[in-house]
Amino acid sequence: MSLVRIPVGPQHPALHEPENFTIEVEGETVVDVKVRIGYVHRGIEKGLESRTYVQGIFLSGRICGICSNCHTTTYAMTVEEAGGIEVPEKANYIRTIISELERIHSHLLWLGAAGLEIGFETMFMYVWRDREVVMDLLEAISGNRVNYAINIVGGVRRDITPELAKEIRKGLDYLEERTNYYKKLCFEETTIRKRTEGVGVLDTVTARKLGAVGPTARGSNVKFDVRKDDPHLKYDEAEFELITWDTCDTFARIVVRILEVLESIKIVRWCLDHMPKKGDIRPQKIIRRVPEGEAYGRFECQRGELVYFVKSDGSDKPYRVKVRTPTMANILSVPELLKGGYIADVPIALASIDPCFACEDRITFVDVEKERKWTWTKEQLRKYAMEFNRREGRW
Amino acid sequence: MSRRRRVSTKNEEKMLVELKKELGPQLIEGYVQRPRRIHIKVNPGAHRKAIEFMRDKWDVWHVSTITGIDLGEKIEVIFHMWKFKEPQTAILVRTEVPKSEPKLETVTDIVPASNFYEREVHDLLGVVFEGHPNLERIVLPDDWPEGVYPLRKDWQPPE
Repeated sequence: MSLVRIPVGPQHPALHEPENFTIEVEGETVVDVKVRIGYVHRGIEKGLESRTYVQGIFLSGRICGICSNCHTTTYAMTVEEAGGIEVPEKANYIRTIISELERIHSHLLWLGAAGLEIGFETMFMYVWRDREVVMDLLEAISGNRVNYAINIVGGVRRDITPELAKEIRKGLDYLEERTNYYKKLCFEETTIRKRTEGVGVLDTVTARKLGAVGPTARGSNVKFDVRKDDPHLKYDEAEFELITWDTCDTFARIVVRILEVLESIKIVRWCLDHMPKKGDIRPQKIIRRVPEGEAYGRFECQRGELVYFVKSDGSDKPYRVKVRTPTMANILSVPELLKGGYIADVPIALASIDPCFACEDRITFVDVEKERKWTWTKEQLRKYAMEFNRREGRW
Repeated sequence: MSRRRRVSTKNEEKMLVELKKELGPQLIEGYVQRPRRIHIKVNPGAHRKAIEFMRDKWDVWHVSTITGIDLGEKIEVIFHMWKFKEPQTAILVRTEVPKSEPKLETVTDIVPASNFYEREVHDLLGVVFEGHPNLERIVLPDDWPEGVYPLRKDWQPPE
């Protein structure tokens, strides 16, 4: 059978991070995958070097819209460690609360989008409706729906009042009830199980060797969670479980994310219970200059381990800031995950690592032997995937 | 102090002694910054030995990232390793290469996860990782001029 090369991507008008995957297929089976990233390389590391710490924190939040808080928190934490800046206790609680609410919003967003990828649009509608609850909570705390900008060097911008805390608890009760329902749905609904079980398998050893992080690693039964291994903020005190699943497939990644939402709810509740009622949330004076030093900061973002390295030289600008996002770590696993699978499973298997999935929108199919070219949109690919699965009796 | 937060650096000191013993004069300096942070600086070339030793002895497979820093005359390359097993620790292996001839041996054959990070450092700072299986462009566009490295301090974005 002839080998056909399918370029997937890079353009995607709706979501972030366009990427290009050249997928080699033989018949229906994926043989090899080549990845080309960098389509949205905006030079933010250079940008951070030429901006002050005060400006930089807002620029770092623009690295990703979905995990904007992870970036500002990690940047602030790393700069504080490099300069030996103390953070008020209450600020750490607020940072933890925002981080976990953000994880809930991101995992629910992903769950809905995954539903869409497998043609389970009802789930997409329900999950995104419920996600509005956590978006409203984030807006109530920070004033913003997306780029919360809650962090500044040395603390946070806004406080959580007792009235707000009550509202958050109410929202959490609703989210817990709904997430438990999705958990039940995920285990009982054959649409989900048939489309995701055994799809995009990444075994434990490969996941470790290729440095997979976050739910992608934990779905492959790797016990790796920065919140547990390298505790920051209040994670060393908060009570929560490290979630792993041992089936190593797309289904495992769904289960891990749903169960993590429940753990996040636990953490937020714990923080609200233990947060000091009074106290500063930021330094009296804005910190402009950071003493010379360097620090290596790690954070468990919703997609996995986020890494910052900051070298300060005593001025108001950092000498060097290095950022490594979780998707960069997971991208190396994508070829392993797709190899041996069907073309029809490419969208969901790709989406299962939660790569700010960017790529599947415009697909050009090139038949190498016949020199024929045609283009499919994401909708056409999804339709093809559904017809294929129906034919194979997997739906 | 927090309940579970480890404050003792006894384990880290012990690991540092082992690294010193293994690397001998190749290790220029080493210190423990805080719990779970070990820094070592080695001669170029000895980074392979250090990483191989960590992999075989402590099962260190995870490369969190590789940082390149322009220090003026030299480029510093830092390998951020993470030890999964107890006691969990980040080990930062640093080495410096001259800017005039920035060459360093690859570690992709020892820890495959470093593949993309080496390509990134090559792209942005011009460090050539010798023996890398595929040292192509990764983040810069294909039509970016050869020999221009944006993360070096002498490069400024055009007005």
